[in-house]
Amino acid sequence: MESNLFIKEFDGFDIPCQYMFDLRKTKVKDCVGCWSCWIKTPGRCINTDLDEFYKAYLKADKVIILSKVNQRFVSGNLKTLFDRMIPLFMPDITFKHGEAMHLPRYRKYPDVEIYYQGDFDSLDSKEIYENYLHRTFAQFYSKCEVVKPINQSSMQEISG
Amino acid sequence: MKTLIINGSPKGRNGNTEVIIEKFIGSAKNLYQVCYVANEDPLKLAEYMKRFDAVIIVMPLYIHAMPGIMMKLIECMERTIDDGKSMGFIVQSGFRESEHSKYLKRYLTALAHKLNYTYIGTVVRGGSAGICMMPEKMNKKLFKQLQNLGEHFRLTRTFHGDIVEELAKPIRLSKGMSMLLYFLFKLGISDSIFWNGMLKKNNALDRKFDRPFA
Repeated sequence: MESNLFIKEFDGFDIPCQYMFDLRKTKVKDCVGCWSCWIKTPGRCINTDLDEFYKAYLKADKVIILSKVNQRFVSGNLKTLFDRMIPLFMPDITFKHGEAMHLPRYRKYPDVEIYYQGDFDSLDSKEIYENYLHRTFAQFYSKCEVVKPINQSSMQEISG
Repeated sequence: MKTLIINGSPKGRNGNTEVIIEKFIGSAKNLYQVCYVANEDPLKLAEYMKRFDAVIIVMPLYIHAMPGIMMKLIECMERTIDDGKSMGFIVQSGFRESEHSKYLKRYLTALAHKLNYTYIGTVVRGGSAGICMMPEKMNKKLFKQLQNLGEHFRLTRTFHGDIVEELAKPIRLSKGMSMLLYFLFKLGISDSIFWNGMLKKNNALDRKFDRPFA
């Protein structure tokens, strides 16, 4: 059976999943930029609050993110979670793709789908948000083909 | 009226962002006030920001955008009703090509407009991961550019286009350059030498490839 992980910032679209991470109920400690996860305790953050999350993330075939758009970007909480993903990657930089990219630490990363709730006041700001997310998950070595607004038909897509 | 400089780094006073701020301010300390996102409550800092006509936010690039704590401050920012306020940004990144900051630059440009601030500009600087660890001499050119940027700002309240352009180089790697870097990487000549040195110093080199959560 496919293993799913849910990261959510709003309700109404839950489907059965192996691991649910509700960003409104969990206060993720901010990355302090100390590089410990790269040069002191490779792969491990100085904080242990995400250890279970890391295991579930790496185990998942698919990660579904329900992102609440805030100030026309990802929320500070979700951004902090992304910052804290850096222990899952190596400090070393490759230029294989024509630009700098950190190497993967693990053999496999999940596919990611992002559904967002919230309005953009222009096509430009929508594009900024979507492009940023695509680029982030390219660095995270995840296939991320879905970054789109949530709507009535999303439920079917998510569970499909 | 003083200009507010916001240090948007989680490392506060102990990082590259602080060095950039110091050089930008130069000897004109009396003209600026510096606040630290790492030490302030975001709501209070967003409120305090309203007292200033000009705000410059300096931050490191964390995975193609602002650090989480910086976004928590941005979430608290409100549109100003006063016209004539201005806002600018300086972004420093580890990756050497400044193009990695393009997503953030676009976002910050739109943000300043949305908040009804006159947009001063976004200075992006790549290859900045080791500024505060390197000897002063190696940063000489960069520091001079930042001083010039600061002096020009004091006189005109703008960022000098030529200096911004110089600081952003290289924007991207040429095909030849990225192929060369890739080739050198295969030979073991890369930033890995730097990382391995740090790992060794911490007695952690043998654990470099650990996968604790697999």
